[in-house]
Amino acid sequence: MTSPGAIAAGTSGTTEPPGPLPAHRTRRAGHARRHRRPVVLLTFSALIAAALAVPLVFLLIEAKGAGAGTVLDLIFRSLTWQLLWNTVRLTVVVTLLCAIIGTAAAWCVERTDLPGRRIWAVLVVVPLAIPDFVVSFGWFSLWSWVQGFKGAIIVLTLAVYPLVYLPVSASLRSADPGQEEVARSLGVRRISTFLRVTLSQARGAILGGCLLVALVLLAEFGAFEILGYQTFTTEIFTEFNAANIPAACALSLVLVLISLVVLAGEGSMRGRGRVARTGPMAQRKIPPAKLGKARWPVLAGFTVLALLALGVPVGASVYWMFDSGSPGLTGGVPLLTAALTTAEYGVLAGAAATVAAFPVALLAVRHPGRLRMMLERSTYLVLAMPGVVIAFALIYFTERYTSGLGNNTAPLLIVCYAIMFFPLALVGVKASLARAPVKLDEMAASLGQARLAVLCRVTLRLAGPGLMAAFCLVFLSVVTELTATLLLIPTGVQTLATQFWEYQSNLSYGQAAPFALVMIAVAAAPSYLLGRFFDRSSASRG
Amino acid sequence: MKQLAISGLRKAFGPHRVLADLDLEVPAGSLTAILGPSGSGKTTLLRIIAGFDLADGGTVMIGDRVVDSDRVHVSPEHRRIGYVPQEGSLFPHLTVAANVGFGLRARQRRGQRTKDLLAAVGLSDLGRRYPHELSGGQQQRVALARALAIEPAMVLLDEPFASLDAHLRASVRSDVQQIFRDAGTTALLVTHDQDEALAIADHVAVLRDGRIAQHSTPQYLYSEPADSGIAKFIGDANLLDGVRHGDFVETALGRLRAEGPSAAGSQLVTVLVRPEHIELRPAAGDAGPAGWVVDCEYYGHDAVLRVQLKGNGDIAPIIVRTAGDHQLPPGSPVTLRPKGQVRTWPR
Repeated sequence: MTSPGAIAAGTSGTTEPPGPLPAHRTRRAGHARRHRRPVVLLTFSALIAAALAVPLVFLLIEAKGAGAGTVLDLIFRSLTWQLLWNTVRLTVVVTLLCAIIGTAAAWCVERTDLPGRRIWAVLVVVPLAIPDFVVSFGWFSLWSWVQGFKGAIIVLTLAVYPLVYLPVSASLRSADPGQEEVARSLGVRRISTFLRVTLSQARGAILGGCLLVALVLLAEFGAFEILGYQTFTTEIFTEFNAANIPAACALSLVLVLISLVVLAGEGSMRGRGRVARTGPMAQRKIPPAKLGKARWPVLAGFTVLALLALGVPVGASVYWMFDSGSPGLTGGVPLLTAALTTAEYGVLAGAAATVAAFPVALLAVRHPGRLRMMLERSTYLVLAMPGVVIAFALIYFTERYTSGLGNNTAPLLIVCYAIMFFPLALVGVKASLARAPVKLDEMAASLGQARLAVLCRVTLRLAGPGLMAAFCLVFLSVVTELTATLLLIPTGVQTLATQFWEYQSNLSYGQAAPFALVMIAVAAAPSYLLGRFFDRSSASRG
Repeated sequence: MKQLAISGLRKAFGPHRVLADLDLEVPAGSLTAILGPSGSGKTTLLRIIAGFDLADGGTVMIGDRVVDSDRVHVSPEHRRIGYVPQEGSLFPHLTVAANVGFGLRARQRRGQRTKDLLAAVGLSDLGRRYPHELSGGQQQRVALARALAIEPAMVLLDEPFASLDAHLRASVRSDVQQIFRDAGTTALLVTHDQDEALAIADHVAVLRDGRIAQHSTPQYLYSEPADSGIAKFIGDANLLDGVRHGDFVETALGRLRAEGPSAAGSQLVTVLVRPEHIELRPAAGDAGPAGWVVDCEYYGHDAVLRVQLKGNGDIAPIIVRTAGDHQLPPGSPVTLRPKGQVRTWPR
């Protein structure tokens, strides 16, 4: 054992032998004194944002090709108003319902002594793994009255409310629970504490979740097709299939415009709700709110929610599979092939989207600024582009600007997925980077680590679980994607979703059911992992 | 021999000037404290020295190597400066040993050197633990060992004891002082706590208005502050108005001996009387200015009383430090008698 004195023998309180600095270690003055600009990051991010803008560019080029007069005529017709009314009223009602259900469920799971909280935390999220069109298949195949506006409200609310639940529960977990105690100690009653303190803590998360819900609704196709509810997206699909490109473009432009309004509204509200936090960031465990007698109705509510959101689609699939009246599955081989294809696409697209999201997220988190925020924001516009538009844009681009890919459209499909689900990946990657504070990077740099080493040894290690979560989110979405897959799938290849769609379109419910079940199973695994990830991140803070 | 030399350092955030032509030299092997109130730019200064932030102008030299100037900016990883931030900033995904060995070359990380460093900070047994399993003081010592591991040219400490409990602070403080003394490493510490600066540093530099207002040993700083502002910032101080004639000064506490040269004739001055330089007697009628106790803060080993002088209602109560054995409730009549020489500044 050496003495402490020997440890720092290299320094021993004297100056270092100076020696000339290698040229690459110093920077020229011009760069040294100005603000450091993350040039590489900016370049990558700009390229990615540009790639994401391809569908929009396609829309505008096509609209221009069709001529302004034609497009305006196509927009200002009664069909448009009908579609607008259908889309807007559904979006408003479902978003509202999702906000209520998602927030209430999140609060009960995170802040109360609800029995079986860990199980509910998983059961409440799993419906996200069930494709919307499987949910509507489940409801519609059992009860044919579930259709139209009424049916769409039921089905879509149950399918997408986890999009509010997830961010809200995460924010409730990280928010300071002491604020609730302070409010109570100041004589504010429990209900108003919830409204004035808890809700305002979670406001950003609720709004963010609602934004996602609204945008998902605007782009939904399969569920509405089954329920016979006409929205912009279903109409665009019809027009595209009828090769009526100008009409499809005109409708898409309106759809993008609506999505822009949603984005802008969310953005302007978010700016007002800053949460200040004084004192150390250490987390305390506080006793959860006691539900008392309210426990039973709350438990009943969770049970009903799980039955409706999870039980009905799964139950319907199981029912049709064993229903003697309909033809059953003809051998397991097509099922296995389709599952493998789906998994392959999911892994590739998940990796592509996560890798692409990394520089944009890094830029947004580490180098905030107006331009960079706009760059990041612009990528969310993709959410407003229905898969059908993105798919057609890619087909159009490869046909016009390359010699074409022939029948092998699989790479194009991967790219399409990566673009569609980029915003999801971005949300996950940003959250993961928040767990890797810049201070630790600085620490590593001061210990003599070069930038790449810092990235590998600190940033990626800390962000790793979150990156995995982002990857899972994309994988999940790919498994349950239908619209773009229908358009871009190579001839003769089937994914779970397309095979399911083919069978259910032919009313072969017995044959469709196994595919629905496998889709649920394949997508449920990552969603379980996601739940675990969020769980662990709360445990490590506690 | 100086280890750190800063000259003309400037830094502004927008219109807000933080550092204005700051000059500072730190002798090799010393422990120097930068003392300044919150928001005085202490952390900014450290971050510039560490290379995390860019200065607007001026030069920084470590040893004889220029690391910041108009022509040069050496990036943090090439400066060999150990940095110990306020909250330790240990890597949460690594064990204590891996944290300490983080800056070493890959094959050294698991070697003897990491063990030696852990031993030096008294944490030999905790190498396999993770940061969240350590107390605040232990985390701070790990952060220190991690900084020392790279054989730094100097170590920067940013309020290293601020996040510790009061009783822990004193012991960690003396540990840290001992570790630096043994290692002989130059250290620069910033703090807003004057007791801390006086207690552990060899030199104290007071940062005010973006520059160093005074830089000297703790003893000199306390007894010979450069101006009344510093006098008030370093420890408790009674600042009285007075009139100086030669070696004497007339104040509300009577006629006191003044130190330092004086101007010819009489001169209006501000007089510094430290609380422990006033003797307090319980009985009235004794020689010296009389007054009554306003309140008393009792510390056990001593007590600090505020005394309102009789017939001088317009001047602030006088602060007096006494041994802790008086029983003087508020209102008790007392007399005061200043001892020794006082310091004066022209008004």
